[in-house]
Amino acid sequence: MMGPPAAVANVAGKVILVGNPNVGKSVVFGQLTGRYVTVSNYPGTTVEVSRGETRERGKSLEIIDTPGVYSLLPMSEDERVTRDILMNEPGSVVLQVCDAKNMRRSLMITIQLAEMGVPLVLAVNMADEARYRGVMPKLEGLEGRFCVPAVPTVAVRKKGVERIIPLLSNAVPSPLRLEYGGVIEGAISRMERLLPDATPVGKRALAIMLLCGDDSLTPWLAENVRAENVREMNAVRNRLVEEIGDDISYRVNQARLAWIDSLLAELGEEPAEAKGRDWAQVFGKYSMDPLFGIPILLLVLFLAYEFVGVFGAGFLVDVLEEGVFGKWVLPAAAWTVERTIPWGMIRDMLVGPYGIISMALSYAIAIVLPIVGTFFLGFGILEDSGYLPRLAVMVDRIFKKIGCNGKAVLPMILGLGCDTMATLTTRILETRKERVIVTLLLALGIPCSAQLGVILGMLSDIGPAATIAWVGIIVGVILLVGYLASKVIPGESSDFILEIPPIRMPQMGNLAIKTMARIEWYLREAVPLFVIGTLILFAADRMGWLLWMQKVSEPIVVGALSLPPKTTEAFLIGFLRRDYGAAGLFDMARAGLLTHLQVVVSLVTITLFIPCLANFLVIIKEQGAKVAAGMALFIFPFAVLIGAAVNFASRVFGIHF
Amino acid sequence: MTDYGQDEILELVWTLREEGRATRSQLLRRTEEDQPERLIEELAAAGLVESSGDDVRLTKPGEERARVIIRRHRLAEVLLNNLFDLDNNQVESSACKFEHILTKTVTESVCTFLGHPPVCPHGRPIPRGECCDKIRTEIKPLVTRLSDAVLGEEVRIVFITPKSRKRLDKLSSLGIVPGSRVRLLQKNPSFVLEIGETTVAVDKDITDEIYVKRT
Repeated sequence: MMGPPAAVANVAGKVILVGNPNVGKSVVFGQLTGRYVTVSNYPGTTVEVSRGETRERGKSLEIIDTPGVYSLLPMSEDERVTRDILMNEPGSVVLQVCDAKNMRRSLMITIQLAEMGVPLVLAVNMADEARYRGVMPKLEGLEGRFCVPAVPTVAVRKKGVERIIPLLSNAVPSPLRLEYGGVIEGAISRMERLLPDATPVGKRALAIMLLCGDDSLTPWLAENVRAENVREMNAVRNRLVEEIGDDISYRVNQARLAWIDSLLAELGEEPAEAKGRDWAQVFGKYSMDPLFGIPILLLVLFLAYEFVGVFGAGFLVDVLEEGVFGKWVLPAAAWTVERTIPWGMIRDMLVGPYGIISMALSYAIAIVLPIVGTFFLGFGILEDSGYLPRLAVMVDRIFKKIGCNGKAVLPMILGLGCDTMATLTTRILETRKERVIVTLLLALGIPCSAQLGVILGMLSDIGPAATIAWVGIIVGVILLVGYLASKVIPGESSDFILEIPPIRMPQMGNLAIKTMARIEWYLREAVPLFVIGTLILFAADRMGWLLWMQKVSEPIVVGALSLPPKTTEAFLIGFLRRDYGAAGLFDMARAGLLTHLQVVVSLVTITLFIPCLANFLVIIKEQGAKVAAGMALFIFPFAVLIGAAVNFASRVFGIHF
Repeated sequence: MTDYGQDEILELVWTLREEGRATRSQLLRRTEEDQPERLIEELAAAGLVESSGDDVRLTKPGEERARVIIRRHRLAEVLLNNLFDLDNNQVESSACKFEHILTKTVTESVCTFLGHPPVCPHGRPIPRGECCDKIRTEIKPLVTRLSDAVLGEEVRIVFITPKSRKRLDKLSSLGIVPGSRVRLLQKNPSFVLEIGETTVAVDKDITDEIYVKRT
């Protein structure tokens, strides 16, 4: 969903946005650069770095958005990305975005940034929420202590961000150095002496990271520090461990927090605004409640189904496919093509049974677009409300059974939007085992928005029994495979510690931009692939390969799955994009070519079917070609196997939906 | 050191009585003291035990003294076993030392700290102390696991005994360290804490490792 990094000319300097997760770095980024990156209300929305630029009195500043961190001592992949940016972009100004409600945690990062010696400006964001809750710290004292500017902002309302821009070019490092006590201080200075003369960030910060046992610095050490110094560093750390135990980072954090607590007490808070009843927080509480949580979840699912399945896939598709395309676009295109293009083959390529307009565009625009459009909108509301992390609380225990924890529900749910993006989001998980399991389950069982919408549209025509059966089978398969994978894949699972953001009313502006950005991304990425898929089918049909392929796959498609031979086409284009395959099935079902049972069998099969090309490429990028190939080799036969099992069982028990 | 020897004998008499085998021969067989016979004589002379034939009984003052020793010993066992997860040998040898040195005030504090536990880790009853009586109306111990805290009540973290360093780092970066004030919001379907204006969902076993005190 993000374009390539914009080329920035005449850069006067770089500004790195750093801060805790879900404090609004991406909103600030958007305001500074005018570029939109996805903004949501849950920790971990940003997993990749985005770059943009802002102008200040004719000079251009490059702005870098980073994933949120709890500490600059990285504990997960996305945290490491941020720390590495700070290491790799020496000389940059850091704009720390703080959560005004949670200054205690924000200042933990500020202290570390001060130790790194980077020029620093603080944006104390969500000042409105902090004032409303009566916890807004007085910022003058804060500026005095850190000797850097601290600007209160409400980024989503565009308040305060303008004031930051002129401060960036004059930013200076904070001189603040926290005292960690004799023994640790001694080790820090010994460690500092072992570091090379030029370091990308302050030596004190590096020394503390090394003492805390940060093994993610290994590559940097290997390149920049002589082997004997590395040995010496280990000796320094080991001596400190002998003296005070190996919980050094904990002691350091504890000292930082103690200092922050006394600072905050000293600063004092602005007087609270009058409080009304906060309905959003009441909803937030009930959505995690053991009693009300499940009914609320079911209600959310029901509303999503009504909006995407019934309104989007039913009503809107009818209007577009039968109305706009059926009555106007296709006849008009056929009429034009008949009269302007003399070559039969080109005509067929455009408006024939496998034509670019008649098949690719009508699938992409008339069937999939209304479905993904409604889905993106509904999903955006869920993302921005802060409901998604609350789901993690509800399902933590189930996810423990599949070797993950509740946190894994975030990428899984995002997979319902796009499996490709969700595969990137697995970076928020802490161990490789969890990342591999979730990546596999995404590729196997989580239908992306386009596919899901098409599937819901087909199921809603048949009735609730088929929908429940489909959901049950897919969830069952996910749990079964997850359980088995957790036994087979080596490694360990991590602790479930997840920050739950406050429930917020989605901002209409952000919702509109986000939905439009995603629709644009869909059109850009999907339509060309739809066209390519159609051309392949067209060529295959012309050459007679299609019949041949149908014959070859007959034992599977017709024999094992009891589907009409034409469904082979749907599976074939499903290799390119799963939603395209599903759209093919949708078309067949509407034409009355599939019985209810055949719909269920084909949908189960195409849902589990191998991931789309883009998803596959991202799996290779994140997990390596070997893992990706292994997954594909497992998923393909497995999908067919489950489809055949459903087909067989339904026939034996006489279930025809 | 003779006092310690006497204490050990008194303790053993109490334990044997619980087992229903309070005889002089059992006492002599089980004791680890060098001169048990002499110790028994001393205790008898001090009016703490009565002995006739194979029979050994605690007198009223002896009963009182043994009760205090047993109480300290078993409270120490609970402390070392439940709180610090020490192994059996460690617990036993340390508890044996504790029983002699804890003052009355310290014993009561430990008892309150642990929530007036009724039995030791071996399942034997811990004699009640004055603090246990006084506290009748207030059942909650002074220090509890966060997982046992009253829902919605603000508590202060006293100490954390985590399984891994990584977990400790993660908690501390969220501001969860001794001295922090937290509130347990719910226990089902997962544990949810509130710390300042932050809401965090965590595993139960993490909240088991966080010890808190009511504020």
